[in-house]
Amino acid sequence: MEIKRRDFLKLFGSLSGAVVLGEYALDEVMELPEGIIELAKNGPGVETWQNTICGLCPAGCGMRIRLIDGIPVYVKGNPIYPINKGGLCPLGLNALHSLYHPDRLKRPMRKNQSAGTSGWEDVSWDEALKTVSDKLVELRNTGKPHHVAFLGHEENGLMKRLIERFMQAYGSPNYYQCSSAQNNVVPYALLHGHTTMPTYDILNARLIVSFGSNFLEEGYSPIYYTKLYSHHEEQRTRYVQIESRLSLTAANADQWVPILPGTYGALALGLAYVLIREELYDKEFVQQRMVGFEDRVDRSGTRHVGFKNMVLGNYYPEKVEELTGVPSSVILQLGREIGNTRPSLVIGDHGAIDNTNGTYSAMAVHSLNALLGNFEKEGGIFFVDEPPFGGFKSVPLDATARKGRSQDPIGLSKGNAFPLTRFSIESFTKNVLSGTPYPIDVLFVLGGNPLFSALNQKEFSQALQKIPLVVSFDNMLNETSEHAHVILPHDHFMESWGEVSNVTSVGFTHVGMQHPVISRVYDTRHTGDVLIDLAKRIGGQVSRAFPLKNYEEELKRALNGVYNSGTGAIVTEGVGTHWIQFLRQRGWQIGQYASFDEFWDRLIKQGGWWNPIRKTKRWGQVFRTRSQKFELSSQALREGLDKLVVKTGKTNSAQDREFVLSQLNISARGDTVFLPHHEPVPYEVDMPLHLITFRVLSVRDGQGAALPMMQEMFGHSVRRYWQSWAEINPKTAELQHVRDGDWILVQSDAGNLKVKAKVSEGIMPNVIAIPFGLGHTSLGRYAKGHGVNPNSIMKNLYDMLSGKPATQATKVRISVAT
Amino acid sequence: MTQRSGAMVDRDEILFRPIYFTGKGFHITFGILALVLLWSLYMYVTQLSSGLGLTGMNQPVSWGFYIVNFVFFIGISHAGTLISAILRLSKAEWRRPITRMAEVITAIVLAIGGLHPIIDLGRPDRMLNLFTAGRLQSPLLWDVTSITAYFTASTVYLYLPMIPDIARIRDRGGKMKWLYTFMAWGWRGTKRQKHVLNRAISILMVMVIPIAISVHTVISYIFSMTLQPGWHSTIFGPYFVVGAIFSGIAALLIVMIAFRRVYHFENYLKEIHFQYLGTLLLIMSLIWFYFTFSEYLTGVFGAEPHEMHIIMYKLTGPYAVFFWGMILCNFVLPVIIMSFKKLRTITGILIASMGVVIGMWLERLIIVVPSLANPRMELPAGMYMPTMLEWSLFAGGIAVFVMGFMIFSKFFPLISIWEIEEGRTHGRKEVEERIESYLPAAERPG
Amino acid sequence: MPKWAMVIDLDRCTGCGACNVACKMENNVPIVDPDEAQNGRAMFWMDMVATYEGEFPHTEAKHVPKPCFHCDDPPCTKVCPVGATYRNPEGLVGQIYHRCIGCRYCMAACPFTAKVYNWYDPKWIDGAQVANPDVSQRMVGVVEKCSFCAHRLQKVKETADVEGREIQENEYVPACMENCPADAIVFGDIDNRNSKVSRLSRSYRVFRYMDDLGVKPKVYYLARRTSS
Ligand SMILES: Nc1nc2c(c(=O)[nH]1)N[C@H]1C(S)=C(S)[C@@H](COP(=O)(O)OP(=O)(O)OC[C@@H]3O[C@H](n4cnc5c(=O)[nH]c(N)nc54)[C@H](O)[C@@H]3O)O[C@H]1N2
Ligand SMILES: Nc1nc2c(c(=O)[nH]1)N[C@H]1C(S)=C(S)[C@@H](COP(=O)(O)OP(=O)(O)OC[C@H]3O[C@@H](n4cnc5c(=O)[nH]c(N)nc54)[C@H](O)[C@@H]3O)O[C@H]1N2
Ligand code: SF4
Ligand code: SF4
Ligand code: SF4
Ligand code: SF4
Ligand code: SF4
Ligand SMILES: [Mo]
Repeated sequence: MEIKRRDFLKLFGSLSGAVVLGEYALDEVMELPEGIIELAKNGPGVETWQNTICGLCPAGCGMRIRLIDGIPVYVKGNPIYPINKGGLCPLGLNALHSLYHPDRLKRPMRKNQSAGTSGWEDVSWDEALKTVSDKLVELRNTGKPHHVAFLGHEENGLMKRLIERFMQAYGSPNYYQCSSAQNNVVPYALLHGHTTMPTYDILNARLIVSFGSNFLEEGYSPIYYTKLYSHHEEQRTRYVQIESRLSLTAANADQWVPILPGTYGALALGLAYVLIREELYDKEFVQQRMVGFEDRVDRSGTRHVGFKNMVLGNYYPEKVEELTGVPSSVILQLGREIGNTRPSLVIGDHGAIDNTNGTYSAMAVHSLNALLGNFEKEGGIFFVDEPPFGGFKSVPLDATARKGRSQDPIGLSKGNAFPLTRFSIESFTKNVLSGTPYPIDVLFVLGGNPLFSALNQKEFSQALQKIPLVVSFDNMLNETSEHAHVILPHDHFMESWGEVSNVTSVGFTHVGMQHPVISRVYDTRHTGDVLIDLAKRIGGQVSRAFPLKNYEEELKRALNGVYNSGTGAIVTEGVGTHWIQFLRQRGWQIGQYASFDEFWDRLIKQGGWWNPIRKTKRWGQVFRTRSQKFELSSQALREGLDKLVVKTGKTNSAQDREFVLSQLNISARGDTVFLPHHEPVPYEVDMPLHLITFRVLSVRDGQGAALPMMQEMFGHSVRRYWQSWAEINPKTAELQHVRDGDWILVQSDAGNLKVKAKVSEGIMPNVIAIPFGLGHTSLGRYAKGHGVNPNSIMKNLYDMLSGKPATQATKVRISVAT
Repeated sequence: MTQRSGAMVDRDEILFRPIYFTGKGFHITFGILALVLLWSLYMYVTQLSSGLGLTGMNQPVSWGFYIVNFVFFIGISHAGTLISAILRLSKAEWRRPITRMAEVITAIVLAIGGLHPIIDLGRPDRMLNLFTAGRLQSPLLWDVTSITAYFTASTVYLYLPMIPDIARIRDRGGKMKWLYTFMAWGWRGTKRQKHVLNRAISILMVMVIPIAISVHTVISYIFSMTLQPGWHSTIFGPYFVVGAIFSGIAALLIVMIAFRRVYHFENYLKEIHFQYLGTLLLIMSLIWFYFTFSEYLTGVFGAEPHEMHIIMYKLTGPYAVFFWGMILCNFVLPVIIMSFKKLRTITGILIASMGVVIGMWLERLIIVVPSLANPRMELPAGMYMPTMLEWSLFAGGIAVFVMGFMIFSKFFPLISIWEIEEGRTHGRKEVEERIESYLPAAERPG
Repeated sequence: MPKWAMVIDLDRCTGCGACNVACKMENNVPIVDPDEAQNGRAMFWMDMVATYEGEFPHTEAKHVPKPCFHCDDPPCTKVCPVGATYRNPEGLVGQIYHRCIGCRYCMAACPFTAKVYNWYDPKWIDGAQVANPDVSQRMVGVVEKCSFCAHRLQKVKETADVEGREIQENEYVPACMENCPADAIVFGDIDNRNSKVSRLSRSYRVFRYMDDLGVKPKVYYLARRTSS
């Protein structure tokens, strides 16, 4: 922190003092109900330890909780849980503060019309559920079950299945998960037909080139990645980080390659150029397992350009340098390095894909893995098997449900946008606002805080206001749930049953167990139980779809399947690489439990189950495309676009195609459309700076902002506590006459905000980076009113194919704020 | 006001006047100062109840105004006892009207300065720990010891030469006779009493000099005993002592000029006294500059990175204003004023003295804060902005100083009457004899 | 007598900040008011020193977790007037909160800025028992700092005593080490030449901050390796 001379002149100029007595806001950081205080003070002091899974983000770390007289007093990582092996991130370590948060919702609430827009009244569970079920019954009775929509977030495993089952039985096609996972998978689906994210064998690779993936900080499971990163006992893996900003991952990498936002795909193709030119790619793999590499002449005799010639013709180093700002010498060096080092892995995420051209960029990045033949081998890419959960015989849908299910999903775009996803928040909002093809009468929102993270915040909030009944499960009021009519607060994860299985990108099959470590602090319920209850209240076939009493029973049913499969093992101490090797040779099964109950008890006690051994796969299972190959020229994309062309219904298909492409803002034409390529981002020319955002471990996507210690950690390393900051390069700063610590005004076409400048050598010139997660107008006393939300000044732009919010597509100008 | 009994009019009557006559100006000034003091007391109570959070201190700047003012006030305290002792010891005849005021400064300012570390404590309620668990290895404890010793010695040293004057006031009768009777300790001015008093003063003045020097040396040790860049310096002991005497002389000059005006002591505090003290100020300014120069030159020449960082922070960084202000106040200003006869008027000397007091305060600031604000570890520089509370307590300290003097002047003569008389009666002869003794003996023929 | 020391491997450490928080939660280190934090009063026993070196694009970022170094010749204890900060025979530098008079001399004397101060009375969870019960809560006006989780040593010693045995290597584990996701922190008896800390402290990569001061920090760092 630079001290300004004028600050010092203040020393004499004004007697500005901080004589504000009693302004100590954090009087009591956390609040406890009487009963707990009583117990804490007078209990006998018996200590116990329990294992669970951290529920503060989807990363699924094992957590060990210390209880005194049944009251959690301390958390640490579960040392035997294979994802995090005893480590927790700052947020997870602070889990108790989310349990004891003074602003937790203590019981169900209903908007009280007479008390104005912000007036809430406490209601009993029965009353709250009745309000909701009456409406649901009414809609079903009038044949409008599809007027109900459910916006989930990061739930996976059983919870996701339960919601799916509920929506099916009820008769609505409108269950969506408003999270990046939906969109992020699109490029992989296009290239090799997968609907889950690939997993990378980081431990065994010798070189890792990351395109914008800040996996140590923003990854799907940052602690898992940290473990992988730091375990290079014998040989030091080399890390190269390509990113506009020196993120935590870049800081730990051996080489940081700064790149202009929106050009990651171009750089990937530049590297492909080097691999192809210097013949460093895996020829055997390309020949046998790839489609679209070479040019091809179809039956009608037309020549189709393949990947190879497209790259050689368009992505030579000089041109790529011009596009990306990466010197051609570095392009050559990197290309040769990945070509000559085996195994070398390429990862693309976050920065690389948070743009209008994100899907094409991710495809370009991923095509490097294909050129390197990185599939189903050590140090490569693989896909994790699903846990062998036990299921239900599906109950046949009744007529109402069948009719409702056959309606067009409301999340689907009406016009020619985002052809490859079922849902985008942009289309959803537009459809709700226009009431087409039908209005939404009930909206469930579970987890997440879309109103805070969306780019179309104004429209989305209008949409929420248009819906007559918004039901939220949040256990703290946030930007989104402020708009709800009924809140059915979810238990804290320490109070409820749950399971966190197969966390995205974790390299083994696993099921982590959550169980009530503490009895409910407040009158909250598990969302699973609530849905089951609602189903029972609706009755009929809907009720029949839920034969079990509650979510706990559902969990047991699922885990019974795991028990019966005889595979994998309950997590135990001392599982090292060698042990796994040994087991791989010997075969891997449990066998040591006499009954399911014994298995279950052990499972709860230890914290989870896992299976590090993957089933060997045939190539047809690896590549789930029609050709059973890696399709550089994507058949799925061709089909998706064709469908759009048909939908536009014009006669001349060439013209229709042209129309569709221009609607999607795709500038490529001909065969290139289906190949990974660089699409220019529609940046404004008159704005000098690219706005990018990043997330930090303590606050993640905004949830951590509710906790005071995380606010304190938020900018601890840059000494900006409870505050946002904007990183700019010294050159940019000089050009804009900004000094470190100045308040600056950041202006875009969509709005402006004020933030303190942090002049840093860790960011490219012409780029400005603002951390995401602060700037709340809700989310409790600690979140509210601190920092800024950069999303609020972003243009409402999306990935042209997947509908993913383009958080790096906005340009801004800055000036010193007065 | 009290009317004196008898018609005894002293030759030095004017020196008694303030004791018997109090003007309106006095009341107003005193009232204002009392308000300032009350306010600062209130502020201190708020600090006691809330904690030091109300100050501008922080991590890493864990010391601020309180410690700066502590060093500053204790420095000023060297005005007195040390200067008067040295002048007495060196038999400087012109000292006679000055010593009393100098000694009073010491007593008052030492009390104020000595309170500052206590104000600075986070847990003043645990002060007794200093005695029950005190560690003699800690420089802070050396301080406690030497300041206590200095305070004791200098109050005694102030008191002893006051006894004959107190006896006079007693003899003149009037208000609060009991006090003067008590304090006069049965002084009748016998030969034996005079002999004993002179012996006692002589012993004390010899004793007080090393104690005074030790005080500021030890205060410098608080800093120099640590390993912090900008502090860890062997020169700090003498540097602090020189600075202390320097600021002490300046403060003395200001006090003299003030009372000369207010109480019309022109006849006693003559031009010549100011010229002499002014010369001393000039000499101290040069010595101070010499030390400052040495301190920084060795730092710059050695160019140890951390040391250099702090020096540049002072010379060109955020503290440059204060650093160059200090050079201006402590060196440029006094040297220019004192070197030109035309400027060397009483007003000129007053300006120079005020400059030096401010400059020496800045020096303390520049020593305390920058070293703390720039941690050796690669942490961002800290910053320190004193709050209203700290300013208030600073103002309170100054108020106490002035009020102390005002009160003193209402009870005791500010100029040692008997010593003036002694000068008249013995001084002249003694000086003559002394000068005689300096000269070569008259040559004896044969 | 063991001598406890710590090694932090900067090659493994990612700068994730988990140690900062783990330490705060373990030791009930207060959260301060937002403005207070901004004014340099945030309290971290385990701090994070984050710096950039070099100029764009050759920027190197460094993240150095910084606890108290438990100097073997600690300049902070020497200056304390009341012995409220002291070095014990096992090399731990401790604080006696109830004796501290809050003069902050030790803070001024620590070359590593390792100490923090309770500028106000820290506020915590009401019913403070719900914080870590093993660690006492501090009061306004006293200095505190990383204790090497001395309370954990106490516990381990008691257990060992009851079981009538010596403390095993790896039994005494501070919270920051226990929670480090990168396993970058190693702790143990440096006088035992076979311990992991001792071994690592002799690594070619080892360095200590300001070794030239002669205060003998007992936190060793292992420099980053870069593979090219
Ligand atoms: N340390 C750390 N670890 C984390 C996280 C973190 O923030 N910090 N985040 C966790 C989370 S939440 C995730 S998702 C993973 C990985 O997270 P990544 O997949 O790597 O995240 P991004 O690609 O940055 O996220 C893109 C987004 O999709 C969401 N979304 C918004 N609108 C829509 C829409 O219309 N449709 C759909 N389907 N989605 C929409 C979000 O709002 C958002 O902008 O990492 C998880 N782990
Ligand atoms: N610029 C920029 N914007 C981004 C991103 C980015 O990287 N950059 N990332 C995007 C991504 S990946 C995402 S996921 C979004 C996420 O952003 P958000 O949607 O805000 O996600 P969270 O912060 O995880 O949401 C937490 C909310 O869910 C509630 N909650 C927690 N657990 C439960 C539970 O079990 N049940 C119920 N009912 N509620 C619960 C909490 O009370 C809290 O209100 O932000 C996106 N926005
Ligand atoms: S990454 Fe952090 S918040 Fe997420 S599960 Fe792990 S510990 Fe919890
Ligand atoms: S927890 Fe470990 S990896 Fe994270 S900052 Fe601390 S030492 Fe480094
Ligand atoms: S690091 Fe500082 S506080 Fe810790 S022992 Fe060393 S000098 Fe004392
Ligand atoms: S602040 Fe406390 S521990 Fe530090 S030196 Fe003073 S009394 Fe000792
Ligand atoms: S050793 Fe204990 S007290 Fe010290 S930094 Fe680590 S967790 Fe904090
Ligand atoms: Mo997310």
